[in-house]
Amino acid sequence: MPLTPRTEQGKAFIRPCTIIYLLLMSLTLLTWALGRFNAQIGLPAMTLSMSVLGIAILKGHLIGDFFMGLRRVRGPWRWVVTLWLLLPASLITIAFMQAGQ
Amino acid sequence: MKYKSQSVAKLYFVAAIALFVGQILFGLVMGLQYVIGDFLFPEIPFNAARMVHTNLLIVWLLFGFMGSAYYLVPEESERELVAPWLAKLMFWIFLIAGAATVAGYLLVPYAKLAELTMDDLLPTMGREFLEQPTVTKLGIVVVALSFLFSIGMTILKGRKTVVTLVLLIGLTGLAVFFLFAFYNPENLVLDKYYWWWVVHLWVEGVWELILGAILAFILIKTTGVDREVIEKWLYVIIAMTLITGLIGTGHHYYWIGTPDFWQWWGSIFSAMEPIPFFMMTIFAFNMVNRRRRNHPNKAAVLWALGTAVMAFLGAGVWGFLHTLAPVNYYTHGTQITAAHGHMAFYGAYVMIVLAMISYAMPMMRGRKAANSPSSQVVEMWSFWLMTVSMVFITLFLTGAGILQTYLQRYSDQPLDFMTVQDKISLFYWLREIAGVIFLIGLVLYVVSFFVGTDDPEAVEKIEVDAETA
Amino acid sequence: MMEKRKQPPGDLAIWIFICAELSVFAAFFAAYAFTRAKHLELFNRYQQTLNTDYALINTLALITSSYFVVRAVAAIREGSQRSCARWLLAAIAMGALFLVVKSMEYQHHFSHGVTLSTNTFYMFYISLTFFHFMHVIMGMVILAAVALKAHAGGYTAERHAGVETGASYWHMVDLVWIILFPLVYVMR
Repeated sequence: MPLTPRTEQGKAFIRPCTIIYLLLMSLTLLTWALGRFNAQIGLPAMTLSMSVLGIAILKGHLIGDFFMGLRRVRGPWRWVVTLWLLLPASLITIAFMQAGQ
Repeated sequence: MKYKSQSVAKLYFVAAIALFVGQILFGLVMGLQYVIGDFLFPEIPFNAARMVHTNLLIVWLLFGFMGSAYYLVPEESERELVAPWLAKLMFWIFLIAGAATVAGYLLVPYAKLAELTMDDLLPTMGREFLEQPTVTKLGIVVVALSFLFSIGMTILKGRKTVVTLVLLIGLTGLAVFFLFAFYNPENLVLDKYYWWWVVHLWVEGVWELILGAILAFILIKTTGVDREVIEKWLYVIIAMTLITGLIGTGHHYYWIGTPDFWQWWGSIFSAMEPIPFFMMTIFAFNMVNRRRRNHPNKAAVLWALGTAVMAFLGAGVWGFLHTLAPVNYYTHGTQITAAHGHMAFYGAYVMIVLAMISYAMPMMRGRKAANSPSSQVVEMWSFWLMTVSMVFITLFLTGAGILQTYLQRYSDQPLDFMTVQDKISLFYWLREIAGVIFLIGLVLYVVSFFVGTDDPEAVEKIEVDAETA
Repeated sequence: MMEKRKQPPGDLAIWIFICAELSVFAAFFAAYAFTRAKHLELFNRYQQTLNTDYALINTLALITSSYFVVRAVAAIREGSQRSCARWLLAAIAMGALFLVVKSMEYQHHFSHGVTLSTNTFYMFYISLTFFHFMHVIMGMVILAAVALKAHAGGYTAERHAGVETGASYWHMVDLVWIILFPLVYVMR
């Protein structure tokens, strides 16, 4: 079964996974730019860190859902990647808040 | 028994059980010496009793592994063993070398033994668990190579299965890592560093592969579950074992003079070592629940399930207890280590060898599949006596270890070692009592081989019990 | 919406393995973050010696390779073995690009005399990335095995659990890097 069935029209068709892929690439560039040009942007360190961590969780979730195919799974396995993302992410957040004080 | 040559395993199993009895007797002597320091002094000093207790354990487990391999490999490979005469010859060489070594430990002072065996030509003696004279170590290498030859050739010439592949990797690793017993550098840090390549990489690395393979074999035979299902689990378990176990060696490198990063590597990877043991528990119970037959050898199934549970508790949980560097900073070398060592060795390796003996011995003694019900009842009694008393030994030693850690290292006014030993002697007495019960269990185990030998053997119940199905 | 299944794609055994691997990395990430909190200045100072441009290329390479693997699975579901093998080959090439760029990064640091014992930051940086590096190699070996079998016609539109198993493992390698990249290179 293809990720999505081919449309009748055929050629002009873009797969959802391609859209996700482009989204992931853009989010990566965003993370990189935030890190690289923060001197000019001037975000507080904590805001910067939490933004890129948030972006990473979103990216990981997209990979789990669309690339690993978990959105078509039900039951506990459906959430395995998302839960995993939230576990280290919350620990990292606590540690960064500790460091920030 | 499908193949005649499988019967060489019987020799190995009998020797293993005999040495097991010896190990426990010396354990009891030593346990008493903890509280009555001059018991049997000067005939059997504590250090000699300790060497005999630990060395016998390793030697009888090796006999058990070899016996298991000689029984399992022909059946898996579907052919007779290559050179069964070699297996018999090596048995006698190994047994005589082992007996001579133990006699050496007991009859002459250790330094004298080193002199007599010309240790100065290639000094390898004097290191914990590797106390054997160099000639004995060379003998072990010869035995291991011959063993690998006959097992390896049988596997290569016959049907290849995942079970035999994993077993062969485990046994080869066992032989290869033993070679580090001959590497004895002047630098104490390096000495300890490579010493662990024998000790840790055996029990937390390649031995686990052997354990996995034997357990998988017993489960295939007793549950009738599809080989593919069992093999898949075996793959995942050994992959996880190797990833966590190999780098997990780092948990021995915290305080011996190695670089700091080992505290992180050791802590993180060894903290994951319980995972493969946990998977093994899930795996064993899953397979037994999905069984397609009710094997009449209930005792063997009980040992197999017992292995899965006790290995997880002893190796997994009790190992995790003191594996993190900040915890180990206080608990290193206390009775916590002894508690972990006892339950891990019993749960993982003693029980798997006894499971294999329990499965294979009836067939080698002329039964079709299992011993008579009365013999099995005695054997199951011995299972519970030994297992429960081992749980208590572990709990008492853990209690002793926690108190010791606190009084000697953590409290505001730390006490000296001997004062603390006096204060925790109650735990040592309780441990000794549990040890006596263990011995009773072991005696019953031996007795079970002579009970109901003339009775008809247990038969397979065709209907699966509703409650366990 | 398509019919939902109870088990994730590929062999259940690989998912148990993935869970175990992910927990090791989670422990490593948390250890990094909490140790950093204790040595804030040290971490912030030495983080600046890392090259985020290399890390960007590597992130893009891994995401792209993951995308190629998705296409390989889609191809075999449509029954096209050749195209499946080609997508997998492209994914492996992206993995190789990752290894090359990462090696250049290591080369840069090692030539400045950095080792695991230089300081706590470098200890974490090298341990984390190297452990991940080994996973990339492992993933490439798995993908190569799957690609060979696909090329030999070993999978069909109906039976291709092996492709999904390899794909799941590879996405896990990607997933770990998705957290590792911001955590070690960007967050400060």
